[in-house]
Amino acid sequence: MVYDLQHADTRLRWLVTCLLGTFGVAYLFGAWMVGLYAGFTPRSVAATYRGPKMPMHMPPETTVVVEHAVTLGELAEPAHTVDRDLLVQDTHVHIPMYGVIAAALSAVVLGLALPSWAGFGLITLLFAAPWLDFAGMWLTKLVAPGFALVTLAGGWAMGLGYGIVTALAMWQMWTPKKGVAG
Amino acid sequence: MISKFLAAMAVAAVLHITPTVVLVQRPDAVKALLPGAEAFFAREVHLSNTDAHRLHEAVDWSPEDGVLTFYTGKTADRVAGALVFVRVDTPHGPVEVAVGFTPAGAIGGVVVTKATVETKPWVLEALRAGLVDGYKGLKPGSTPAGAAALKDRIGALPAYMAGQLDKGVARALLAYGTFYRGAKT
Repeated sequence: MVYDLQHADTRLRWLVTCLLGTFGVAYLFGAWMVGLYAGFTPRSVAATYRGPKMPMHMPPETTVVVEHAVTLGELAEPAHTVDRDLLVQDTHVHIPMYGVIAAALSAVVLGLALPSWAGFGLITLLFAAPWLDFAGMWLTKLVAPGFALVTLAGGWAMGLGYGIVTALAMWQMWTPKKGVAG
Repeated sequence: MISKFLAAMAVAAVLHITPTVVLVQRPDAVKALLPGAEAFFAREVHLSNTDAHRLHEAVDWSPEDGVLTFYTGKTADRVAGALVFVRVDTPHGPVEVAVGFTPAGAIGGVVVTKATVETKPWVLEALRAGLVDGYKGLKPGSTPAGAAALKDRIGALPAYMAGQLDKGVARALLAYGTFYRGAKT
């Protein structure tokens, strides 16, 4: 293959470095946001996507009105949860973005000196991670809270994929090679 | 090829929803919209399929879990007013409005309680231009037109958000007129 980052023009290697650096910053803030809104434990992720009560909503045959006293404290903001409508919206806007990121990282993988099986594996990991992430959210909402583990696995897989690609790219692009002038 | 790829990335970045920002805490909104109230009551209206469908058809809204919650404030035995929180999902993320009603059944005030990092400046510009003033006095059956009233004085995106907030107020008006004033407890 002609596309070889190890021996590519310095400008292309700089472009890839900037791209990976930018993704790295985005991932760090993504992790911060996950910490703020969903957490990193199966219990907190399940509570976010499953909701606090987890009942199957059954509408009554006729509209029913119930009134009870509340305090101002009870009106305070409840813990952040993602209901079905918001998850539809999140899925709609995040999946294309994750696809573009996975494609960009895969393009970097194609320029690395790797055995074919490793390239296939890395590209699969990069695309599988967001699928696991969102599959876990939907399964947690619709099937059982235990699927929060799938979402956590997807999130960690995203970080792992990025980490492997970045480490390999930086190593191959910027470490001096014998007999090659910088 | 590269330019198409970059354009796709830019579109994807634009579509990314930013986190929710609390503009006014719910208890503060309640205190502002139900001044003087000493006791508060939650009136939960569990909608039947028929009523939920009617509400959805009328204002394109399905409350979470099919339950509309109104909050009533009372001073001694006198009702100080009622309010309802309404969420509107926009392509830029959700916004939430608290719509307060006087005992006479008209809107007494509207407070925008939530926006997103992206929409907050647009919402604030619409609010600074006096968006919520136009809602006061509206009764069920009337149509909020805050966006139209402000369109020559604010930018396109603040005007767009004003339209979304109009939608939230319209939902509150219909819900209040149909399921609060017309309901039996």
